Amino acid sequence: MKRFAIPLALTVITLLVSSVVGLAQHKHDEMKSMGKVDSSHGQSAKKGSVVVQTKADTISTPRVVDANVAASMKEIVEHYLHLKNALANDKTKDAAAAGKEIVDAMGAMDKSFLTAEQKKLYEDVEDDAREHAEHINENAGNIGHQREHFDMLSKDVYDLVKAFGGGQVLYKNFCPMYNDKKGAIWLSETKTIKNPYYGKKMLTCGSVQEELK
Amino acid sequence: MKRVKQILFVLLIGFIVMQFMQPARNQSGQVLQTDISPTYAIPENVQTLFKNTCYDCHSNNTNHPWYSMIQPIGWILARDIEDGKAKLNFSELGSLSSRKQISRLQQIENRIKDDTMPLPAYQLLHPSARLTEEEKQLLIGWIQKTRDSIASKR
Repeated sequence: MKRFAIPLALTVITLLVSSVVGLAQHKHDEMKSMGKVDSSHGQSAKKGSVVVQTKADTISTPRVVDANVAASMKEIVEHYLHLKNALANDKTKDAAAAGKEIVDAMGAMDKSFLTAEQKKLYEDVEDDAREHAEHINENAGNIGHQREHFDMLSKDVYDLVKAFGGGQVLYKNFCPMYNDKKGAIWLSETKTIKNPYYGKKMLTCGSVQEELK
Repeated sequence: MKRVKQILFVLLIGFIVMQFMQPARNQSGQVLQTDISPTYAIPENVQTLFKNTCYDCHSNNTNHPWYSMIQPIGWILARDIEDGKAKLNFSELGSLSSRKQISRLQQIENRIKDDTMPLPAYQLLHPSARLTEEEKQLLIGWIQKTRDSIASKR
Protein backbone atom coordinates (compact mmCIF):
# COMPACT_ATOMS: atom_id res chain seq x y z
CA MET A 1 0.00 0.00 0.00
CA LYS A 2 2.82 2.42 0.79
CA ARG A 3 4.08 2.11 -2.75
CA PHE A 4 1.07 4.14 -3.86
CA ALA A 5 1.67 6.98 -1.47
CA ILE A 6 4.29 8.89 -3.44
CA PRO A 7 2.69 8.64 -6.89
CA LEU A 8 -0.60 9.68 -5.33
CA ALA A 9 0.99 12.65 -3.62
CA LEU A 10 2.55 13.71 -6.89
CA THR A 11 -0.79 13.42 -8.64
CA VAL A 12 -2.46 15.63 -6.07
CA ILE A 13 0.22 18.25 -6.42
CA THR A 14 0.23 18.12 -10.21
CA LEU A 15 -3.52 18.61 -10.25
CA LEU A 16 -3.31 21.59 -7.96
CA VAL A 17 -0.53 23.23 -9.90
CA SER A 18 -2.11 22.61 -13.28
CA SER A 19 -5.40 24.09 -12.17
CA VAL A 20 -3.70 27.30 -11.13
CA VAL A 21 -1.61 27.49 -14.30
CA GLY A 22 -4.65 26.60 -16.40
CA LEU A 23 -6.65 29.45 -14.97
CA ALA A 24 -3.88 31.91 -15.67
CA GLN A 25 -3.60 30.67 -19.25
CA HIS A 26 -7.33 30.95 -19.73
CA LYS A 27 -7.27 34.54 -18.63
CA HIS A 28 -4.44 35.31 -20.97
CA ASP A 29 -6.38 33.88 -23.91
CA GLU A 30 -9.41 35.87 -22.89
CA MET A 31 -7.45 39.09 -22.94
CA LYS A 32 -5.95 38.26 -26.29
CA SER A 33 -9.31 37.57 -27.84
CA MET A 34 -10.62 40.90 -26.60
CA GLY A 35 -8.09 42.70 -28.74
CA LYS A 36 -9.04 40.75 -31.84
CA VAL A 37 -11.26 42.53 -34.26
CA ASP A 38 -12.70 42.09 -37.66
CA SER A 39 -11.15 44.50 -40.11
CA SER A 40 -13.01 43.51 -43.25
CA HIS A 41 -15.50 46.32 -42.96
CA GLY A 42 -15.12 49.69 -44.55
CA GLN A 43 -13.43 48.64 -47.77
CA SER A 44 -16.55 48.40 -49.85
CA ALA A 45 -17.63 51.99 -49.37
CA LYS A 46 -16.99 54.52 -52.09
CA LYS A 47 -14.01 56.77 -51.91
CA GLY A 48 -14.62 60.45 -51.49
CA SER A 49 -15.40 62.71 -48.65
CA VAL A 50 -18.33 64.22 -46.87
CA VAL A 51 -18.59 67.42 -44.96
CA VAL A 52 -19.89 67.12 -41.46
CA GLN A 53 -21.74 70.05 -40.02
CA THR A 54 -23.01 70.26 -36.52
CA LYS A 55 -25.76 72.59 -35.49
CA ALA A 56 -25.39 74.60 -32.32
CA ASP A 57 -21.69 74.01 -32.56
CA THR A 58 -19.21 76.64 -31.51
CA ILE A 59 -16.63 75.39 -33.99
CA SER A 60 -17.51 77.11 -37.23
CA THR A 61 -15.20 75.27 -39.64
CA PRO A 62 -16.89 72.08 -40.88
CA ARG A 63 -14.69 69.02 -40.77
CA VAL A 64 -13.84 66.96 -43.82
CA VAL A 65 -14.29 63.25 -43.27
CA ASP A 66 -13.49 60.43 -45.67
CA ALA A 67 -16.50 58.44 -46.91
CA ASN A 68 -15.03 55.23 -45.51
CA VAL A 69 -14.77 56.83 -42.11
CA ALA A 70 -18.31 58.14 -42.39
CA ALA A 71 -19.55 54.63 -43.25
CA SER A 72 -17.80 53.14 -40.21
CA MET A 73 -19.16 55.89 -38.01
CA LYS A 74 -22.69 55.18 -39.21
CA GLU A 75 -22.17 51.57 -38.20
CA ILE A 76 -20.82 52.46 -34.74
CA VAL A 77 -23.73 54.84 -34.13
CA GLU A 78 -26.29 52.23 -35.21
CA HIS A 79 -24.96 49.72 -32.69
CA TYR A 80 -24.80 52.42 -30.04
CA LEU A 81 -28.48 53.11 -30.72
CA HIS A 82 -29.26 49.38 -30.35
CA LEU A 83 -27.62 49.55 -26.97
CA LYS A 84 -29.50 52.70 -26.02
CA ASN A 85 -32.84 51.16 -26.99
CA ALA A 86 -32.07 47.90 -25.19
CA LEU A 87 -31.37 49.84 -21.99
CA ALA A 88 -34.50 51.98 -22.41
CA ASN A 89 -36.47 48.73 -22.67
CA ASP A 90 -34.68 47.22 -19.64
CA LYS A 91 -33.27 44.43 -21.82
CA THR A 92 -29.92 43.57 -20.31
CA LYS A 93 -29.11 40.70 -22.67
CA ASP A 94 -29.75 42.75 -25.78
CA ALA A 95 -27.62 45.49 -24.27
CA ALA A 96 -24.78 43.00 -23.75
CA ALA A 97 -25.03 41.87 -27.36
CA ALA A 98 -24.97 45.48 -28.57
CA GLY A 99 -21.85 46.05 -26.48
CA LYS A 100 -20.06 43.40 -28.49
CA GLU A 101 -21.34 44.93 -31.76
CA ILE A 102 -19.89 48.29 -30.75
CA VAL A 103 -16.50 46.74 -29.95
CA ASP A 104 -16.47 45.07 -33.38
CA ALA A 105 -17.65 48.17 -35.22
CA MET A 106 -15.01 50.33 -33.56
CA GLY A 107 -12.31 47.88 -34.48
CA ALA A 108 -13.55 47.81 -38.07
CA MET A 109 -12.78 51.48 -38.60
CA ASP A 110 -10.06 51.62 -41.25
CA LYS A 111 -7.72 54.14 -39.70
CA SER A 112 -5.75 54.64 -42.91
CA PHE A 113 -8.56 56.94 -44.05
CA LEU A 114 -8.05 59.21 -41.05
CA THR A 115 -5.72 62.18 -41.04
CA ALA A 116 -3.02 62.16 -38.39
CA GLU A 117 -5.02 64.52 -36.22
CA GLN A 118 -8.23 62.54 -36.67
CA LYS A 119 -6.43 59.31 -35.89
CA LYS A 120 -5.15 60.68 -32.63
CA LEU A 121 -8.61 61.72 -31.57
CA TYR A 122 -10.23 58.50 -32.74
CA GLU A 123 -7.73 56.29 -30.94
CA ASP A 124 -8.02 58.28 -27.76
CA VAL A 125 -11.79 57.85 -27.74
CA GLU A 126 -11.71 54.26 -28.97
CA ASP A 127 -9.32 53.19 -26.24
CA ASP A 128 -11.79 54.32 -23.59
CA ALA A 129 -15.05 53.49 -25.39
CA ARG A 130 -13.95 49.95 -26.15
CA GLU A 131 -13.50 49.26 -22.44
CA HIS A 132 -17.00 50.48 -21.67
CA ALA A 133 -18.52 48.45 -24.48
CA GLU A 134 -16.64 45.36 -23.27
CA HIS A 135 -17.89 45.85 -19.74
CA ILE A 136 -21.43 46.20 -21.03
CA ASN A 137 -20.96 43.00 -22.99
CA GLU A 138 -19.64 41.13 -19.95
CA ASN A 139 -22.36 42.30 -17.58
CA ALA A 140 -25.56 40.78 -18.92
CA GLY A 141 -27.83 40.51 -15.89
CA ASN A 142 -26.43 43.59 -14.18
CA ILE A 143 -28.22 46.40 -15.94
CA GLY A 144 -27.19 48.94 -13.30
CA HIS A 145 -23.56 48.33 -14.11
CA GLN A 146 -24.27 48.40 -17.84
CA ARG A 147 -25.92 51.81 -17.43
CA GLU A 148 -22.90 53.16 -15.55
CA HIS A 149 -20.71 52.30 -18.48
CA PHE A 150 -23.32 53.53 -20.95
CA ASP A 151 -23.05 56.94 -19.27
CA MET A 152 -19.31 57.07 -19.93
CA LEU A 153 -19.63 55.51 -23.37
CA SER A 154 -22.21 58.11 -24.39
CA LYS A 155 -19.72 60.92 -23.79
CA ASP A 156 -17.22 59.10 -25.98
CA VAL A 157 -19.69 58.48 -28.80
CA TYR A 158 -20.82 62.09 -28.59
CA ASP A 159 -17.22 63.25 -29.09
CA LEU A 160 -16.87 60.91 -32.06
CA VAL A 161 -20.08 62.16 -33.67
CA LYS A 162 -18.99 65.75 -33.16
CA ALA A 163 -15.72 65.02 -34.90
CA PHE A 164 -16.77 62.62 -37.64
CA GLY A 165 -20.56 62.78 -37.96
CA GLY A 166 -22.99 60.01 -37.11
CA GLY A 167 -24.46 59.18 -40.52
CA GLN A 168 -27.90 60.39 -39.43
CA VAL A 169 -29.57 63.16 -37.50
CA LEU A 170 -29.02 62.62 -33.80
CA TYR A 171 -30.19 64.32 -30.66
CA LYS A 172 -28.14 64.81 -27.55
CA ASN A 173 -30.53 64.19 -24.69
CA PHE A 174 -30.08 64.86 -21.04
CA CYS A 175 -31.29 62.95 -18.00
CA PRO A 176 -31.03 65.32 -15.00
CA MET A 177 -31.45 62.62 -12.37
CA TYR A 178 -28.69 60.12 -13.08
CA ASN A 179 -25.43 60.24 -11.07
CA ASP A 180 -27.08 61.64 -7.96
CA LYS A 181 -28.72 64.45 -9.93
CA LYS A 182 -25.49 65.45 -11.64
CA GLY A 183 -27.08 64.25 -14.83
CA ALA A 184 -26.01 62.20 -17.82
CA ILE A 185 -26.32 62.53 -21.57
CA TRP A 186 -27.23 60.07 -24.29
CA LEU A 187 -27.64 60.18 -28.04
CA SER A 188 -30.91 59.31 -29.73
CA GLU A 189 -32.28 59.03 -33.24
CA THR A 190 -35.56 60.66 -32.17
CA LYS A 191 -36.64 63.74 -30.29
CA THR A 192 -39.02 61.64 -28.24
CA ILE A 193 -37.46 60.90 -24.87
CA LYS A 194 -37.01 57.24 -23.97
CA ASN A 195 -34.71 57.29 -21.00
CA PRO A 196 -32.03 54.55 -21.15
CA TYR A 197 -30.81 55.25 -17.61
CA TYR A 198 -34.02 54.34 -15.82
CA GLY A 199 -36.03 52.41 -18.41
CA LYS A 200 -39.64 51.77 -17.52
CA LYS A 201 -39.30 53.50 -14.16
CA MET A 202 -38.91 56.94 -15.72
CA LEU A 203 -39.15 56.44 -19.45
CA THR A 204 -40.12 59.94 -20.52
CA CYS A 205 -37.87 61.82 -18.13
CA GLY A 206 -35.26 63.99 -19.85
CA SER A 207 -34.82 66.75 -22.39
CA VAL A 208 -33.25 67.41 -25.78
CA GLN A 209 -30.11 69.52 -25.45
CA GLU A 210 -28.69 69.61 -28.93
CA GLU A 211 -29.41 68.50 -32.46
CA LEU A 212 -26.49 66.89 -34.28
CA LYS A 213 -26.62 66.81 -38.05
CA MET B 1 -7.69 2.90 9.92
CA LYS B 2 -4.36 2.29 8.23
CA ARG B 3 -5.85 3.54 4.98
CA VAL B 4 -7.06 6.79 6.54
CA LYS B 5 -3.60 7.38 7.94
CA GLN B 6 -2.06 6.86 4.53
CA ILE B 7 -4.41 9.32 2.88
CA LEU B 8 -3.73 11.91 5.55
CA PHE B 9 -0.02 11.33 5.09
CA VAL B 10 -0.29 11.90 1.34
CA LEU B 11 -2.28 15.09 1.85
CA LEU B 12 0.26 16.31 4.36
CA ILE B 13 3.10 15.74 1.89
CA GLY B 14 1.11 17.56 -0.78
CA PHE B 15 0.51 20.45 1.59
CA ILE B 16 4.18 20.66 2.50
CA VAL B 17 5.29 20.62 -1.13
CA MET B 18 2.79 23.41 -1.92
CA GLN B 19 4.53 25.64 0.61
CA PHE B 20 7.62 25.68 -1.58
CA MET B 21 5.66 27.17 -4.46
CA GLN B 22 5.27 30.75 -3.28
CA PRO B 23 3.69 33.15 -5.76
CA ALA B 24 5.65 36.26 -6.72
CA ARG B 25 5.14 39.11 -4.28
CA ASN B 26 3.39 42.18 -5.56
CA GLN B 27 5.87 44.65 -4.14
CA SER B 28 7.78 46.95 -6.44
CA GLY B 29 8.96 48.93 -3.40
CA GLN B 30 8.87 52.20 -5.30
CA VAL B 31 6.32 54.89 -6.01
CA LEU B 32 6.10 55.56 -9.72
CA GLN B 33 5.71 59.00 -11.26
CA THR B 34 2.40 57.71 -12.60
CA ASP B 35 1.09 57.00 -9.09
CA ILE B 36 -2.02 58.86 -7.99
CA SER B 37 0.02 61.08 -5.68
CA PRO B 38 2.47 62.78 -8.02
CA THR B 39 -0.14 62.70 -10.81
CA TYR B 40 -2.78 64.70 -8.97
CA ALA B 41 -2.76 67.14 -6.10
CA ILE B 42 -3.96 64.94 -3.28
CA PRO B 43 -4.23 65.74 0.42
CA GLU B 44 -2.45 63.33 2.71
CA ASN B 45 -5.60 62.06 4.45
CA VAL B 46 -7.19 61.17 1.11
CA GLN B 47 -4.03 59.45 -0.06
CA THR B 48 -3.82 57.47 3.19
CA LEU B 49 -7.42 56.32 2.81
CA PHE B 50 -6.77 55.09 -0.71
CA LYS B 51 -3.61 53.34 0.46
CA ASN B 52 -5.29 51.59 3.36
CA THR B 53 -8.41 50.54 1.50
CA CYS B 54 -7.44 49.99 -2.13
CA TYR B 55 -3.69 49.59 -2.64
CA ASP B 56 -3.42 45.96 -1.56
CA CYS B 57 -5.23 44.84 -4.71
CA HIS B 58 -5.01 47.89 -6.95
CA SER B 59 -1.36 48.97 -6.92
CA ASN B 60 2.14 47.63 -7.43
CA ASN B 61 2.68 47.50 -3.67
CA THR B 62 0.66 45.04 -1.64
CA ASN B 63 0.98 44.86 2.09
CA HIS B 64 0.98 41.06 2.16
CA PRO B 65 -0.71 39.54 5.22
CA TRP B 66 1.07 36.71 7.06
CA TYR B 67 -1.40 34.09 5.79
CA SER B 68 -0.45 34.85 2.21
CA MET B 69 2.65 32.75 3.01
CA ILE B 70 0.39 29.72 3.38
CA GLN B 71 -0.56 27.97 0.17
CA PRO B 72 -3.03 27.74 -1.46
CA ILE B 73 -4.26 30.95 0.25
CA GLY B 74 -1.35 32.90 -1.22
CA TRP B 75 -2.21 31.66 -4.72
CA ILE B 76 -5.81 32.78 -4.39
CA LEU B 77 -4.74 36.20 -3.13
CA ALA B 78 -2.18 36.53 -5.93
CA ARG B 79 -4.91 35.89 -8.47
CA ASP B 80 -7.21 38.46 -6.83
CA ILE B 81 -4.43 41.03 -6.98
CA GLU B 82 -3.78 40.27 -10.62
CA ASP B 83 -7.48 40.73 -11.42
CA GLY B 84 -7.66 43.89 -9.36
CA LYS B 85 -4.65 45.46 -11.05
CA ALA B 86 -5.97 44.65 -14.50
CA LYS B 87 -9.08 46.71 -13.77
CA LEU B 88 -7.47 49.55 -11.85
CA ASN B 89 -3.89 50.26 -10.86
CA PHE B 90 -3.29 53.28 -8.67
CA SER B 91 0.45 53.06 -9.35
CA GLU B 92 -0.06 53.59 -13.06
CA LEU B 93 -3.08 55.90 -13.23
CA GLY B 94 -0.96 58.71 -14.61
CA SER B 95 0.08 56.66 -17.63
CA LEU B 96 -3.51 56.53 -18.93
CA SER B 97 -5.06 59.05 -21.29
CA SER B 98 -7.00 61.78 -19.52
CA ARG B 99 -10.20 60.30 -20.93
CA LYS B 100 -9.42 56.98 -19.28
CA GLN B 101 -8.35 58.64 -16.04
CA ILE B 102 -11.77 60.27 -15.87
CA SER B 103 -13.42 56.88 -16.49
CA ARG B 104 -11.37 55.21 -13.77
CA LEU B 105 -12.16 57.94 -11.25
CA GLN B 106 -15.85 57.72 -12.12
CA GLN B 107 -15.79 53.98 -11.54
CA ILE B 108 -13.99 54.34 -8.20
CA GLU B 109 -16.67 56.79 -7.14
CA ASN B 110 -19.44 54.40 -8.22
CA ARG B 111 -17.91 51.49 -6.30
CA ILE B 112 -17.57 53.57 -3.12
CA LYS B 113 -21.15 54.77 -3.48
CA ASP B 114 -22.70 51.35 -4.00
CA ASP B 115 -20.52 49.82 -1.27
CA THR B 116 -19.16 47.04 -3.45
CA MET B 117 -15.57 48.11 -2.80
CA PRO B 118 -13.55 47.30 -0.79
CA LEU B 119 -14.81 43.74 -1.09
CA PRO B 120 -16.75 42.51 1.95
CA ALA B 121 -14.25 39.70 2.57
CA TYR B 122 -11.40 42.20 2.49
CA GLN B 123 -13.19 44.44 4.98
CA LEU B 124 -13.72 41.47 7.25
CA LEU B 125 -10.00 40.73 7.32
CA HIS B 126 -8.95 44.40 7.39
CA PRO B 127 -11.18 46.27 9.83
CA SER B 128 -9.29 49.49 9.08
CA ALA B 129 -10.48 49.29 5.47
CA ARG B 130 -14.10 49.84 6.48
CA LEU B 131 -14.95 53.32 5.30
CA THR B 132 -17.09 55.50 7.50
CA GLU B 133 -19.70 57.78 5.93
CA GLU B 134 -17.44 60.83 6.38
CA GLU B 135 -14.50 59.02 4.81
CA LYS B 136 -16.62 58.08 1.83
CA GLN B 137 -17.74 61.68 1.38
CA LEU B 138 -14.13 62.84 1.65
CA LEU B 139 -13.05 60.44 -1.10
CA ILE B 140 -16.02 61.18 -3.35
CA GLY B 141 -15.50 64.91 -2.97
CA TRP B 142 -11.86 64.63 -3.95
CA ILE B 143 -12.66 62.35 -6.88
CA GLN B 144 -15.29 64.72 -8.29
CA LYS B 145 -13.01 67.71 -7.95
CA THR B 146 -10.12 65.91 -9.58
CA ARG B 147 -12.29 64.64 -12.43
CA ASP B 148 -13.53 68.13 -13.16
CA SER B 149 -10.01 69.48 -13.18
CA ILE B 150 -8.81 66.82 -15.63
CA ALA B 151 -11.81 67.51 -17.86
CA SER B 152 -11.21 71.26 -17.86
CA LYS B 153 -7.56 70.80 -18.84
CA ARG B 154 -8.38 68.59 -21.79
